[in-house]
Amino acid sequence: MSIVKRTWTVNGTSVAIRAPAGRRLLDLLREDLGLIGSKESCGEGECGACTVIIDDEPVVSCLVPVGQLPDGTDILTIEGIEKKRAGRLLRQAYVECGAVQCGFCIPGMVVGSYALLRKNPRPSAQAIRAGLAGNLCRCTGYAKIIAAVKLAAARLAGRRK
Amino acid sequence: MAKSLPRIRRLVGQPFPRVDADGKARGTTRYLADRHYPGLRHGVVVRSPVPRGILKAVVPDPDFDWTGIVLATAKDIPGINVVHMHDRTMPLLAEIGGEIRYRGEPVGVVAAKTPELAAAAAARVRVEVDELPPLLTLQEAVATFKSAPARFDSMKNQDIVKGDLAHGFAAADEILEAEYWAGHQEQLYLENQGLVVVPQKDGSILAEGSIQCPYFPVHELNDPLKLPPEKIRVRQTPIGGAFGGKEEYPTMLVGYAAVAALKSGRPVKIAYERHEDILFTPKRHPVWSRYKVGFKKDGTLTAIECDFILDGGAYLTISDVVMFRGILHCAVAYRCDHVTIRGKVARTHSVPCGAFRGFGAPQAIWGIESHVDAIAARLGKTPDAYRLQIHARPGDRTPTGQILSKENGATDCLRLALRRADFARKLKQCSRGRLLKGQKKYYGVGLSFFAHGAAFTGDGEAKFKAKGRVELALLDDGRPGVDIRVSSTEMGQGVHTVFTQIAADALDLDPARIRFPLADTALVPNSGPTVASRTTMVVGNVVHRAALDLKSQIEAFAALRHFRGAAARLRGSRLVAQGGKSVPFAKVAREMLAELGGASGFFQFELPADIRWDQTTFKGDSYPGYSWSANVAEIEIDPLTCEIAVKRVCAVLDIGRVVNPVTAAGQVEGGLTQALGYALLEKIGTGPNGLYDAARLQTYIIPTALDVPEFDVKFVEYPYSFAPPGAKGLGELPMDGLAPAIANAVAAAIGVRLRRLPITPEAIHAALHPVSGGAP
Repeated sequence: MSIVKRTWTVNGTSVAIRAPAGRRLLDLLREDLGLIGSKESCGEGECGACTVIIDDEPVVSCLVPVGQLPDGTDILTIEGIEKKRAGRLLRQAYVECGAVQCGFCIPGMVVGSYALLRKNPRPSAQAIRAGLAGNLCRCTGYAKIIAAVKLAAARLAGRRK
Repeated sequence: MAKSLPRIRRLVGQPFPRVDADGKARGTTRYLADRHYPGLRHGVVVRSPVPRGILKAVVPDPDFDWTGIVLATAKDIPGINVVHMHDRTMPLLAEIGGEIRYRGEPVGVVAAKTPELAAAAAARVRVEVDELPPLLTLQEAVATFKSAPARFDSMKNQDIVKGDLAHGFAAADEILEAEYWAGHQEQLYLENQGLVVVPQKDGSILAEGSIQCPYFPVHELNDPLKLPPEKIRVRQTPIGGAFGGKEEYPTMLVGYAAVAALKSGRPVKIAYERHEDILFTPKRHPVWSRYKVGFKKDGTLTAIECDFILDGGAYLTISDVVMFRGILHCAVAYRCDHVTIRGKVARTHSVPCGAFRGFGAPQAIWGIESHVDAIAARLGKTPDAYRLQIHARPGDRTPTGQILSKENGATDCLRLALRRADFARKLKQCSRGRLLKGQKKYYGVGLSFFAHGAAFTGDGEAKFKAKGRVELALLDDGRPGVDIRVSSTEMGQGVHTVFTQIAADALDLDPARIRFPLADTALVPNSGPTVASRTTMVVGNVVHRAALDLKSQIEAFAALRHFRGAAARLRGSRLVAQGGKSVPFAKVAREMLAELGGASGFFQFELPADIRWDQTTFKGDSYPGYSWSANVAEIEIDPLTCEIAVKRVCAVLDIGRVVNPVTAAGQVEGGLTQALGYALLEKIGTGPNGLYDAARLQTYIIPTALDVPEFDVKFVEYPYSFAPPGAKGLGELPMDGLAPAIANAVAAAIGVRLRRLPITPEAIHAALHPVSGGAP
């Protein structure tokens, strides 16, 4: 398989990539860059546990071949989310609301929530449900996750005033 | 008088934040896949390509380069080729000349440097089987049960008999009989099954991974691995969900990996991908039940007769106990003097079914809660009034003869759920197959009411005697604190948090000084498996009592050391005594660690001496305590597409003392959501080729954020006073009864009762538009 060389921005830092074009972004993030927060569960883009943000769009990294991403691609993972204020507010809200149980879906869920709040800073409950419909959770029944996103959104808006 | 000190706020009953949430939300918690093991080999299981036959050969392809690759088969098993489980009939790996009993039954394990190489090598192992005709489904087994009962292959039978059934039916004014079916359900923990077995220099093994019950492999693999319990050490990694799915199955996985690890001398990891995980690991047992119930004109139940058959799959494994829990929940919630329940575990040539939250109870409650609604309809009574009339109350005798104690919130649950959901008013708005004025969709509201027996069945806890320790330790910051040492595993349910609360209260110590390390069988006594809704109730009591034991040791030490023998008390993280200046816990703990080498509080659980249970006749006290719940579901059905939307669910539960209202509500919402999936979405069966017919997340559909309703969760507390802090079972109860509540709502919406789960839009359509001449 052909090897590609790329320069991306990962979590705000410029990173030189050299990898087979068909290598899954998820594997590259986890194995080559040590960013283990993105999880693999279904491996076919159904569960959202591997969600990362590529150029402002939430994407399931298990379905993205490395060769598809050109130079200059901007990638944000759960590890980078922590550097953002909205990311920290989301993490705190998830913890406070009891939205975390086994935790395996949570990094992807927090990344998905971050992407949602970027587009829609004050989402309704229904908008949160729709925005996170691609992130499966088997523990919580989603109620406390929805509450956490609402809480983080309110805190984010409160500070912006 | 000692100076009044600020008392640590009592934590039991408070929404104390989860101790494990922060790392999980940051993505820094290291699950199995996030850990590095030097010299690791990756294991792939080689499986039977057919569901039934005689295994003739397992042949590695000579044209493949096997350098550095190990293939372990049954002949590499050091000891006797059997996994103990409950009847010692299942081989670890199928033997040449032995019978293959399900498609995918393991015949070997390949271990190689990379997962890709291991998978490629496993594909180059030829598995030769002389095929025999299989019996694949419960439908076929039940057909045999009805037409030729002598030929029905049951792996386990158990009856419950109370009173005289014939007498009960003779006293009835009317008899209603119906059959109820439900299919498999996949646990679908987000983290797939996986573990590593590391062979040790002394011939022992260390297994580490996503393991719900670390002591199971220790006691189940002694024969095949020819290792005594002390030479099988098992450690839990953080578990990304289990729900029973990682209860008995990881034992087999440890066995597969161990055989390859012992042969290769290297650590071997077996980590399933989703497809393999769904295809070859245990599911909830499909059920067929037939209820025949006699009742008087006033509604009094005079006789309950129930046949209850679970599909056990190819081997019994733990299905006997699942069936026991099933039959014990078939009629426990209602008053009736004459009851006969006959439980069976059918053998089919399919993957053995196993533990899944509820463990037989959801299958039982699905039948009885549908049937009680049907009886109410026959009597012209409303479902709520009828249940209020006939439900079991304190002092009543269960089908096994147990007298229900006063620690029983059954009536409260029912009344409160009906009131909160405004059930009586909403019942009048049900469409019953005809859109009412202003309705664009069929509307229905449904009720269920049920109990869940908490902890091991019968005298299980009395025999088991769960053990646990709470001991002084230096914590990660180098300062003293205490470690909780029990074998209970954190799987997401919150045990690390609630046990921290319990220990902090018992010790009157800052909860930040309490640590609960992941279970490691070399370091924790056996407090039993993390199953059966027993953990907070039973092991929580062990932690409470062990912490009190440690507290008294600390106080005795401090009394001599700092207070000239005057009675000292640990209070608000300080030792205080009359007339003395208080001393910080940290100081006393350091002294004890330095001078005594530490201190350890211990407790061993015992049930009250008057518990009576006969395992052969199934008479007596079948559970130490019962949790209760009532669920109300409101649904809408699109008349055109027949899509079903669950709009609101109200659940009121008596789980005894609520240790943490937030984690408890989270358990309830999550369990209700799994039950919603069981009722409406999660459809999977054994196909004609012997494989599950929905083997990926594209085809096996679980609820998303768009599928879940608004939840209204409320607790009523009737604590289990025998075992402070007084919790009863929580984990399974929310999974038990929502499916029949939804089915009852469907019946109220469309006017037709459906008796098979899941209830799909196709089933609704068929019910609304029956083919002429066909039954709905």
